[in-house]
This record gives sequence, structure tokens and C-alpha cells, in this order.
Amino acid sequence: MPTTTVERVNGAAIKQAIENRDGRRLASFYADDAHLKVIDRNNPPSRPREVHGKAAIATFWDDICSRAMTHKVETSIAEGDRLAFSQACTYPDGARVFCLAVLDLENGKIANQTVVQAWDE
Amino acid sequence: MRPPEVRYARSGDWRIAYQVVGQGSFDLVFVDGFISNLEVQWEDPGFNHLANRLSAFSRLILFDKRGTGLSDRGDPTELPGLQTHMDDLCAVLDATGSGKAVLFGCAEGAAISLLFAANYPDRVRALVLYGGFANSMEYLAQTEFMATIEKSWGNGFSLQYFSPGRFNDPRFREWWGRFERLSASPRAAMALALMSTAIDVSSALPHVVASTLILHRTNDVSVPQEAGHDLAQRIPGARFLALPGRDHQVWTGDTDEVADAVEEFLTGARPVRHHHQLLATLLVARIVQHATQKAIGGNGDLLQLIHNITERIAGRYGGHVSEGVEPEILAHFDGPSRAVRCAVELVREACELGIKCSCGLHIGEVEVHRTSFAGDALRVAREIAAKAKPGEILASSIVTDLSPGAGLHFVERERLGERSEPPLRLFAVVPEHLEPQLKLENPAIEVLTTRERQVLTLVSEGLSNPAIATELHLSNHTVKRHVANILLKLDLPSRAAAAALAAKQQQA
Repeated sequence: MPTTTVERVNGAAIKQAIENRDGRRLASFYADDAHLKVIDRNNPPSRPREVHGKAAIATFWDDICSRAMTHKVETSIAEGDRLAFSQACTYPDGARVFCLAVLDLENGKIANQTVVQAWDE
Repeated sequence: MRPPEVRYARSGDWRIAYQVVGQGSFDLVFVDGFISNLEVQWEDPGFNHLANRLSAFSRLILFDKRGTGLSDRGDPTELPGLQTHMDDLCAVLDATGSGKAVLFGCAEGAAISLLFAANYPDRVRALVLYGGFANSMEYLAQTEFMATIEKSWGNGFSLQYFSPGRFNDPRFREWWGRFERLSASPRAAMALALMSTAIDVSSALPHVVASTLILHRTNDVSVPQEAGHDLAQRIPGARFLALPGRDHQVWTGDTDEVADAVEEFLTGARPVRHHHQLLATLLVARIVQHATQKAIGGNGDLLQLIHNITERIAGRYGGHVSEGVEPEILAHFDGPSRAVRCAVELVREACELGIKCSCGLHIGEVEVHRTSFAGDALRVAREIAAKAKPGEILASSIVTDLSPGAGLHFVERERLGERSEPPLRLFAVVPEHLEPQLKLENPAIEVLTTRERQVLTLVSEGLSNPAIATELHLSNHTVKRHVANILLKLDLPSRAAAAALAAKQQQA
């Protein structure tokens, strides 16, 4: 069984993993019972899409990282156990996505994350 | 919904039209069967609904096969083979940056998807096949279908092979004719039908490694359910799910059944249907004070008590009270006056128990889930309730505008959202001026003419029409007319009800 290296999550590590589309590394940043909440046009604030647990979050990142697109993590702000960053993405046909993410860390792992995203459609 | 932007993927010298809709974390490619048109099919509510449901949890990618819809048409006599369709699918995946997608293949599209999954296992996350078959010789009877195309392409007659239940709906058939004309030329339609008679992807089935869900409507008019069973038996680990219905077209019939099955298979979560929308009058009641004059907000027992009272009163006015733990009571009604009257009774009953309630009323669209509801209008109703003083019922101007003649009285109060444009005008209900709600059940006999009153008196004495006619020296026909007028004026259902009313009024 592969051993997971314990890596403390910080803005630089997230930036590197996202920009390299490294889904496995991204998944390793999350606590086992982490909550990920996505708010977008189809998943409005009163009914966000929720992804619970590390396994489901790993699938989530695996799906996103399988897309041949570019990601750029632009602004990253840290304050104690809270982290926020913005992410600009572009699909090969030019369609763009912009996301803002806010994270709560517990023991160096992501416990909660809320993503708000807007897409070219 | 507005159709999404059409883009073109390059497959060799051909351009394949595609659309992307939805913002989900995984890609779902809809591989349609016979014909499609990315522009026209969005006009159909069934297609719209299915696409909306699917794109709520995925990034849905739609495309027109070459020779159909908005994609390059080319020479209709040169039949594109399944290999060519696979190349086109690849081109669409590349253009959209999809590394690994779920393929949702319908009918002939199921064959394309199967072949693709067997050839490009790394690019397929999962397979959903609907109304599919492995071998067209075994399961597809195309002779009649091709004769229909030959004879009447463009008139919507092919609908009988896709959605037989709607064949007799002239408007839908007319629209289907338009869909035919804009999706393929007559020769191309023939070529496509001919191509589908020669499909055999049997040898690919054992090579499919992606997890697969087979959906088939039990009485599919064009492809028998056995074809789906056959696929499920021959694709390793495939699951089969029968859906009720006769439709072969996936986006006609009960599209929620289809979307539920696909969503559960792909996300693992049993979907909750959110989209039952309703225009309703909303009542939000808050408990603001009880006898001790202490603000209590979320006292569970008290809230339950008021909840029960509201349920009882709302039931009489045809309202529905939302279940679930909320800091306030929420109910929705068919009409504004019913909601106002319920609020008045609620405030009065609560007051007798020493509890002060404040109520907010507003009208708007809400999404009704089984026993609860949500939506922007509810947020507004909550804000209105928050502005109401203890014991006060505040209604938005939409409520007051829609209830003239209902015997309700309002006085204008402050506005909601002074900073927003335009601010919502709020009115307080004046309960003491409420006219008796059962007015129609105790109608005034004064509305009757002298003659009608005479007739009514005799009716109440139990006299028949001929007897009344003799008594008043009238014709039988005239008496009949008088009785009918009396019932109409007093809004009563029967002669007996009129007699009872007259007797009651005499006693009073």
C-alpha cells in the first residue's frame, strides 16, 4: 500500500498541485471527513453540491484534473487556519471558468472548503 | 432555457457542432441516436428538462453527428460508419478538453458509445446506454420506418417510432416535422436509417471495462427491452434498469425517471427532485413574544404548538404548512385572501394563548419539495415577517394588488429594501375590518325581489313548484325560473339549502 506523505497544506502547495493538475496530491490535502461545498449556477446557495469524505473528494479532483485545461491560481490569502484563493481556468476551446475557494484547516488538513464558480456558457 | 453557445470541433476536414452546458466536476457526453439538432431540440420542454437535470450534476456535452443538425452535412449517399462517428466523438472530447467522460448513448448512439468504450477505455469514465442494442439485425425492424421516411419525411410521421403516445398531438407532431426537416435532409435520413440496419457491435461487448448502466423503457416502441437485457448480460458487470413507458426517444416520456437513474448511478446519491415550481401566496409566522414578554425565538415546544395550530387553520383554507425544524412557521396557499384570513386567525388564536406572532405575506414562485418549499419569494416573505410588529400581519403590495373585492382592508406601512429599486411597498392587514368570511354561506335575502321572497317562503314550507304556481297564480315555468334565480342570487346549491336558509332567517 502506498504511504501518503504528510504535507501541511498551504497556498503554495495548493497552487502547485492545481496548476499541475495533480489530483492525487490535491486529494492528500484533505482530512478523512472533509466537506467540500460547490456553489454555481446549477447549485445555488440554498442547495449547493456537497462532496463528503476524502474518497469522494479524490474522485472529484480526479475528474477535474482529467480535463485538458489550464489552471492558474492567482491570489492566495492565509490567516491562521483559514485559506482563500482564486483560480482562473481555460478549456482548449477558449471557455473560461473563474473560482473562489475558502478553506478551513484542521491539523494541517483541509476540513471544509467552499468553492464559488462562474463559467462561460 | 436559452440554448447554449454552439461551437465546432474539427474532425479531419469536417466540423462537428457541439454545446457544453453545466458546471459539474465530470463530463457527460450525450451521444444521440438517429437525428438531432442542437438548435431546435432546446425548443422542446422534455429535452430542456432532461438536459437541465443532467447538467445540474455534470458538464453535459451535446453534439450533432456528422450529416445531421448543425454539423457538416456532406454527401448523403456516403454513409459514415461507426468508426467515423467514433473519430468525431474523439474530436469533440478533445475540443472540450475532456480527458475522461461518461458516455450517455441512446439507440444507435449506444452502439457508438460501446465501440468507443471498448477502443478507448482510458477516455471513458462510465457508460450509460439507453434503448440500445448490440446487433440491429436481431432487434431492429427498419422496413416500415424506412418506408415512412421515404414517403413523408418532414411531416413528423416518424414520431410514431419515437414517441407513439404523442403521435396524435397535432402541435407536437408539427414540431417533430420541423425537427425532422432541420435535423437531416430526406436522403440523409434514409442513409442514417440504412446505416442503423447494419450495426453489430457484439464483438466489442466483452472488452468494455467501464462500469455500465443499461436503461430501457419496458415497452420501447422501436427496440424491444430484450435488446437491453442482452447488452446487460454480455457487458461485464453491467446493471440493467427497466423504466416504465413506450417512448424510444429518451427526452420524451418521463424524463425525470431517466435523469434520476443516471444521477444515482453516476453520483451515488439518490436525487431529490427540486424542480416542482409553484406560484403561491406565502405566509411566514414568527413567534416574537409570549406572556412573560420575553423574546423567545426558537422555543421548540411553543413553536410546535403554533405549528399545530397553523396546520389546523391552514388546512381549512387549503394551505400547506412546511414540515421540518425552522425558526418560524411557513405555509403556502393558492390565493392571497385565504392566506390573509389564515394569518388573522392564527394571530388571534396565538394571542388568546398569550403568544404574540408576527406574520409576513408575499406572492411568488417557490420550489416545492415533498413537505417543504424554498425560493427567493420565501426569503422576501421572511424579511416582511421580520419587519412586522408583534401581532401584526404585513403583506407585500403584490398580495394587496391581487385581493381587491375580497373584503380585506390594509393600511400602508414602510417599504422593504429602500435601497433596492423599486422598493417593495408593505401593507398591514386591519383584522377588525375583515368582512365576515362566510358571507356567502349566510347571504342576505334582501337581494331577492318581493316575488322571489314569496316563492322562497313557499319553498321553505315544502311546496312543490306546481303547488307554488297555483298558490301565486303563476305558470309552472315562471316558478321554475324564480327558484333558479333565487339559488343563483344566494349562491346556494339546492332547493333544500334555500328552504333551510329561509327557515333560519325567519327564526332570527
